[in-house]
Amino acid sequence: MTEVVKVEGVQKTFGKAKALSDVTFTVKAGEVVGFIGPNGSGKSTTIRILLGIIKRNAGNAEIFGKDVWKNSLEIHKRISYVPGDVTLWGGLTGGEIIDLFLKLHGGGDKERRDYLIERFELDPKKKAKSYSKGNRQKVGLIAALSVESDLYIFDEPTSGLDPLMESIFQEEVEKLKNAGKSILLSSHILSEVERLADKVVIIRQGEIVETGTLDELRYLTRSTVKMETNGDITAMAEVAGVFDFEQDGNKATFSAEQEHLNEILLAAGKLDVIKFDSSPPTLEDLFMRHYEG
Amino acid sequence: MIMKEKFARWDILFLQYLKRDWKKIIIWVLGIGLFSSGFIPAFKELAKGQGLVGMYETMQNPAMISMVGPTPIDSAADYTLGAMYVHEMLLFCGLITMIVSLLHVVGHTRKEEDLGLTELVRSFQIGRQANSLATMAETVLINVLLAVVISVVMISFNADTITVEGSFLFGASIGAAGVLGAVLGLLFAQIMPNSSGATGVGLGLVGLLYMTRAGTDASNPDWSMINPMGWTYLTYPFTDNNWMPLVFVLIFSLVVIIISFVLEGSRDMGAGYLPEREGRAHAKSSLLSVQGLFARLNRGAIIGWFIGFLVMGAAYGSIYGDMQTFLQSNEVMQQMFTQADVSLEASFTSTIIMVMAVLVSILPIVIINKLFAEENRSQLSQIFSTKVSRTELFWASVGLAIFAGVLGTLLSVAGLGGTALSVMESDSSMGMADFFAAGFNLWPSVLFFTGLSALVIGWVPGAGKLVYVYLAYSFMLNYFGGIVDFPDWFLKTAIQDWLPQMPVESFDLPVFITITAISIVLMVIGYIGYKRRDMAEGA
Repeated sequence: MTEVVKVEGVQKTFGKAKALSDVTFTVKAGEVVGFIGPNGSGKSTTIRILLGIIKRNAGNAEIFGKDVWKNSLEIHKRISYVPGDVTLWGGLTGGEIIDLFLKLHGGGDKERRDYLIERFELDPKKKAKSYSKGNRQKVGLIAALSVESDLYIFDEPTSGLDPLMESIFQEEVEKLKNAGKSILLSSHILSEVERLADKVVIIRQGEIVETGTLDELRYLTRSTVKMETNGDITAMAEVAGVFDFEQDGNKATFSAEQEHLNEILLAAGKLDVIKFDSSPPTLEDLFMRHYEG
Repeated sequence: MIMKEKFARWDILFLQYLKRDWKKIIIWVLGIGLFSSGFIPAFKELAKGQGLVGMYETMQNPAMISMVGPTPIDSAADYTLGAMYVHEMLLFCGLITMIVSLLHVVGHTRKEEDLGLTELVRSFQIGRQANSLATMAETVLINVLLAVVISVVMISFNADTITVEGSFLFGASIGAAGVLGAVLGLLFAQIMPNSSGATGVGLGLVGLLYMTRAGTDASNPDWSMINPMGWTYLTYPFTDNNWMPLVFVLIFSLVVIIISFVLEGSRDMGAGYLPEREGRAHAKSSLLSVQGLFARLNRGAIIGWFIGFLVMGAAYGSIYGDMQTFLQSNEVMQQMFTQADVSLEASFTSTIIMVMAVLVSILPIVIINKLFAEENRSQLSQIFSTKVSRTELFWASVGLAIFAGVLGTLLSVAGLGGTALSVMESDSSMGMADFFAAGFNLWPSVLFFTGLSALVIGWVPGAGKLVYVYLAYSFMLNYFGGIVDFPDWFLKTAIQDWLPQMPVESFDLPVFITITAISIVLMVIGYIGYKRRDMAEGA
């Protein structure tokens, strides 16, 4: 697969403050990459560098094999972008702004625009200054989704949207995914990333700390096991790969390391199990592991 | 206890607002206060010799009366320093105070509702209308302070005919104008669907009141007494000392405040009584380009300034007629001007054209600074990510600014020349072409400020306001350069001073071309910076 986005060792400083110290990741054609990290970790800075809004101090950043700063216009013909906080001109209506964005991007689809306006339940006749946060976000989303692009960059696109609109957004992104588009999705809503992303990139203090598919990342993390037995459960605490063991009579909860799963199951088999519940780590667990540790 | 429920804890908000606004209050009170009262020494100079008589004659011109208001004096002999000061200053100072108060009230009532601040405040143990009451109390207090400052400063000059009673009436009249502005702001904050609607209609009404009083003042000032704005200057301090209009202001304000509070009490937060106008669902094709967008975003400012340029030109132009009659009836003055071998018109024109060129320069700076304001508010981030280049953004903005400079020059000169030629009774030595030549002779200075703004936005975008500082500096230098004897090199630090003063001096092509070229070079250097730098997205 060809690499649509290729970022290598990118650094950025603002005055003396180092915003990005080492950012490296790729988005391949047809891939949906979830870009996650806490506030201030450098997600938006990275995205602004990709868009050529600010200039990197070191490293390489390419989209469609072209340099993001030098060839930004070539690149921009084939991408769509939605910022996390869509700011609009108060005096223009939502409908006017969407039309303007379509025109400036080039090649907007009017039918698709009208379909999306209806789906997202936006009133395009209202002046943008009277829109709520969620409605402003819808304007950005409709404009970005109405045009044909090869790469979609979303920076916390659903902030301020209600759950219903959030799921409509996710459906629309799934359609893009099925159509083979590449997507870079930065989000705080981890369930959204879990649903859509093929690959996850985790950034922390300007540095990429983890990259991989969700399965790969899960393998590195422990599952949570809840267990109940007829006999004494205490023996489980001594098994290799069991951590955070908490006992309550004949019930226990612990984390199980994936590599030792077999040993854990063998040991459990000896204990007359009534109940055995294993849940895979959620993205939230992964996330927490990186930021708490 | 309905009252208690409605206004609970307004006093806490009131004190909080004084704390929040203290800097603004100081600037407001001292700024307008000193402006309103501080020109007495300058007017004393004006009044020397035949000054008062001359000024009286000039001010009899209906065009002047429609601008500054009438005077109760009907013979030049009774036209004292006090009468002249009030005549020329009171209406204008009251108008400014009115507008500032109106903006303040709307900004702290309806605007805060729109911003969502009110919602948060009301979730505490604060009455539903406590904010409005606190804001009104604050604004009234500010205007009382303003009235006192004005009166005290005026009295302190200890000038002839500037009496104590008159000074207090003068201050109170301006304070009353402020209160009127405040209550009008409060009223429209209730009626209109949002804060910008309230500001727009409020200022519109102030404009309308000003225009109607221009008409009634010129024909019969008695009719101006039914105009609320009339009550702010028909008090005639230092002459008639009529306190009655201020009583009208008081009654009118109380009535409007009560109406406003009733209206506020029965509306929902964030809603008005007039429905919101529906906009277009789709954009007109004229909007669909970078140029179209910038033209639309600056539309209000451009139209407003253009009207201003035209009116300003016409206002100055209207003086030409009286200047001629004044000159014909005054032998000393006539001699003075014949000796200098320039006509009075020509000399006056060269000064006025310079003033207008400075004012016209403001608009291009506004337009170019807007580009950075947009960038800083992240409003361009979605445009940056399309195929629109920075080149396009920059030159669309600079192009619009150049266009505004050319048309602004044209309009102000047309207003000046057109009016001047129509009011001058006897044949003038000047024709329309002379006015245009004089106006466009200074056009490179307008272009220079456009270039300077472009340079700043490309390299130090945060410093856009500094261009205004240089503009103000060069204006002062040109203005006072005629009065005080500055060394030549010092005068040359103002860009306008490099260009000849037409029509008194003759056109200088090399200088014209040089300043134009320098301005273009500044733009190109600015462009290079704009292409290279990081966009400041409030990050």
